Amino acid sequence: MKVVTGVVGNDIHVVANRLIDISLEERGFEVFNLGVNTYLEEFMDAVIETDADVLLISSLNGEAEGWCRDLKILKSQYDFRDVTFMIGGNLGVGEMDPEALVPKFQGYGFDLVFHQIDLNEGLDQLEAYLEARK
Amino acid sequence: MSLLQREREIILRNEYVDRFDFEEVESFIRGASKNLFISHKFKTSDKMLVQPRGGFPTYEKVFGLYREFKEAGVDVLPLTIDSNTRLNDYATAKKMLSLSEENDVDMLNGYPLINHGYRTTRKMMTHYDTPVSLRHGTPDARLLIETALASGIFEIEGGPITYLLPYSKNFPMDKAFLYWKYVERVCAKYSELNEPINRESFGPLSATLQPPAIVLVIQILEMLLSLEEGVKSFSVSFSQSGSMTQDIVSSNVIKKLARKYADRFGHTDATINLVYHQWMGAFPYNKEYSDSLINTSTVIAAMVGANKIITKTRNEAFGIPTKEANAMAVANVQYTLGMLRGLPKVSDEEEEENLSNEVDEILEAVFNEGSDTLWRQVFNAIKKGYIDIPFSPHIINANEVITIRDPQSNIRILKKGKLPISDKSFAFEQSKIKLGEGERVVDKIIQDIGIML
Repeated sequence: MKVVTGVVGNDIHVVANRLIDISLEERGFEVFNLGVNTYLEEFMDAVIETDADVLLISSLNGEAEGWCRDLKILKSQYDFRDVTFMIGGNLGVGEMDPEALVPKFQGYGFDLVFHQIDLNEGLDQLEAYLEARK
Repeated sequence: MSLLQREREIILRNEYVDRFDFEEVESFIRGASKNLFISHKFKTSDKMLVQPRGGFPTYEKVFGLYREFKEAGVDVLPLTIDSNTRLNDYATAKKMLSLSEENDVDMLNGYPLINHGYRTTRKMMTHYDTPVSLRHGTPDARLLIETALASGIFEIEGGPITYLLPYSKNFPMDKAFLYWKYVERVCAKYSELNEPINRESFGPLSATLQPPAIVLVIQILEMLLSLEEGVKSFSVSFSQSGSMTQDIVSSNVIKKLARKYADRFGHTDATINLVYHQWMGAFPYNKEYSDSLINTSTVIAAMVGANKIITKTRNEAFGIPTKEANAMAVANVQYTLGMLRGLPKVSDEEEEENLSNEVDEILEAVFNEGSDTLWRQVFNAIKKGYIDIPFSPHIINANEVITIRDPQSNIRILKKGKLPISDKSFAFEQSKIKLGEGERVVDKIIQDIGIML
């Protein structure tokens, strides 16, 4: 399984990005890591180029919301039916209702949304989701 | 006119620079007080120099910070530059400086040196008559360094590798090498006028599980790139690793090897100093624990025999410290150092042999790379993954090396990627690693990063 990953927006949280990369490899995924400071368009291009099965975007400094609003529009420009869209990290800016965050990002077009969830748990759920999709 | 001088005139003909007077600057440096030169202080002082970190947007606030530091017994003052200036965005820095001056709120995370200019800044430097170290993180520091030297700041931190790979995702690395070549040449040129300008490399790198072999290799290469251009005084540095053994081993090895390689390249007249950074990773939220960490770190610096220590504060986990907290840290470190004179020499021969071998092996691979100049060899070595910094955000970095701690907290190489170390060296690293049954590497890494929390 191929995964494209990276940190969206002007966000340079490299440690978390590396840990996701290492974890995915440990679990047997083929990883294409675009690193920190990545734009949404770059993610979509990479998914097409690598024929990826999963796009895993991470975000830590609360920029995800501003950057992911256009996901629906970008998704409509190409056939992404077989791709699982996942986002995780610290998705809110400041004091936000965490209950409202998950449906909001699902509305943007993400299949899996993890706000302040442990890395291993998020990846366990990703694997379960991919298994169920088969 | 020399090529360098022509380039300097282009760099300094900048709309944010108020007419740069080369002759006046030269005569200022020629006649400058010896007390402004850290290279002079290294020569004449037998104690470890204490230097904090710090910088504010306005002249007044930096002036106040320095007064506080002086009362606390500081040896070397810092000048930390704001992040807009680091990215050569002088227009934004100017706007934020005006807002900071008008509203008495800090709109910048450091001192915008270009906007203040050298005529103003020099007044502060000559007033305190104390060595100042420039802390920045700029890949293209040409204008910044000209302004700093003209201001009386005679120590310049950074380098093409250490100020790029830990800080940037895609600033072109070949450009960084050429911009730093300019910096080295200007430092070398001014070094002929009075005491030498000191250059310092930034050993902490990404400050996250950095293997000593890679830190030392990079320190030695940046030193050689600097001495090659004529710099005569250079400080290699590293930060507290989380293992006292490893810090002492690193120190013994870098002192030996930095001298060996400087001499091998014909720089026998260059002075090499050692700088130790207190813990650069995540600090505890408990301020008493922070004090304990800082104290322990001071003891290790003394064991290491550093020429200078760069301090942290008990407020580290909470953001930029107040000038009072920062000065208190300086006073405490000086107090602890007072107890630490005449320490026994400690060494671990097996560890030192292994680290020396690893550094030699990587450096040989760099020097055997086919390019015609040292900077190209280093550039290609990084591209090929011979030098690979864990947790660097830069696209050129290979990101294949994985490190974890052994049961004694030493940082060990678990995956070597393309590091050109011998099987024997790698086997030594592997023999120290103990992973629990079914223990995930990533969980171990998370635990090892947060060792001081």
